[in-house]
Amino acid sequence: MDVKNPKVLALDPRDPGKLSSTTNIAGCPESLEGLVVGLLSNNKPNSELLLRNVAEMLKQRHGVSEIIESNKGTHRVPAPETILTSLISSCDVVVTATAE
Amino acid sequence: MKFLSKRFEFSGIEEAQEYYFSEGLTDGLPVVIPTESNVADMLAAVELLPGDLIADEKVRGKRFVAETIAINAVMAGCKPEYMPIVIAAVKAISASSFNFHANSTSTNGVGILAVVSGKISEAVEMNSGTVLFGHGNRANATIGRALGLIKINAYGSRPHEMDKSTLGHPGKYTFCFAENEDVSPWEPLRVEKGFSETSSTVTAFAASGPLQVTTSNYREPEEIFTIIGDAAKALGPGGTEMVVVLSPEILQHIARSNWTKYDAQEFIFRQSGRSGGDWNSTYRTEALFPDDRTNERIHVVKDAESITILAGGGIAGPFASVIGCWGGVSSVTKEI
Repeated sequence: MDVKNPKVLALDPRDPGKLSSTTNIAGCPESLEGLVVGLLSNNKPNSELLLRNVAEMLKQRHGVSEIIESNKGTHRVPAPETILTSLISSCDVVVTATAE
Repeated sequence: MKFLSKRFEFSGIEEAQEYYFSEGLTDGLPVVIPTESNVADMLAAVELLPGDLIADEKVRGKRFVAETIAINAVMAGCKPEYMPIVIAAVKAISASSFNFHANSTSTNGVGILAVVSGKISEAVEMNSGTVLFGHGNRANATIGRALGLIKINAYGSRPHEMDKSTLGHPGKYTFCFAENEDVSPWEPLRVEKGFSETSSTVTAFAASGPLQVTTSNYREPEEIFTIIGDAAKALGPGGTEMVVVLSPEILQHIARSNWTKYDAQEFIFRQSGRSGGDWNSTYRTEALFPDDRTNERIHVVKDAESITILAGGGIAGPFASVIGCWGGVSSVTKEI
């Protein structure tokens, strides 16, 4: 915002960005054809049901080759490193969900 | 002083205010506009430079630097002398056991409750008496508010976006007070948490709104804590922690007994329990308590030590408060 003769110069309260964040976002594949898709449930009621329905649609409509299911046991905390490592090594993409 | 943050230029304060509102940088209330001068004053109070790293939150990879904390503290209306408390509270909420990402985004809309214990609360004139949870004290109001603004701006849990609280509660604006150890027969919170008597600490809880409980004319500890334990059942089964605040009038009755703090914690814990079958009949928790757990006694928190009992409030009035916390996380105490 350029103001002629600004009387107030103020600072942005948000995360300064590149200097602060340490997380990078992974890119998305252009197609799911032939890929291995992981499902990560947070164990809330019906989340596995929801994910399995999504998986069926991905197979039928997008040619996904294989589905690998995983469940982190609780919605309350991040997935343990062992589950993440396993999913990263065996899957091309992972779908996660919460449900009731 | 070289700042990291982007700068905005405005023709006047009114224009600045409207911009901060329109960009979602406030909590819905007007803010103090953060300038290089007032932010520098905040940093000077704690002898920090803008880029000094205060805390590293691992789940979202957020690194809280001194400048960002100072900017949001200015916006909240903090005085520079409050900065040590705000800094320590940010360290607390960044700890992995506090699980800030989960509790700041959950439909179970909690806020950050910050409880200060020790001499610093007197030094900065915090309130531990009448209107304990409410308005009217600058330190209580603005320290708590700074944490709420940090959650929105620095952490990115913006209302309606990442913060999907179904209802939330007013403590999301600010929820901060000092414990009144002078009216308590027991050790203060900082000593209970393993810090020295001469230290000052801040403890962060991922807290629901307070449930006010009246203990009426009851004077015996069993009677008082039966009422409180029964009220705690409203939190539902299987939580992790909760906070109980006892007013001076209640504590006068307790002080005449030989009950320890642990006696009180343990009594409230037991009173908060019901059988799994009983919970199922009112909470539809059959998925949690199937047939083999229907006779098991399930409590609202994981154990007696998970009940934090605090002293505070005005000298008249037989009132207590039960404050539930987001399940699966732990409160965190940091020295100031």
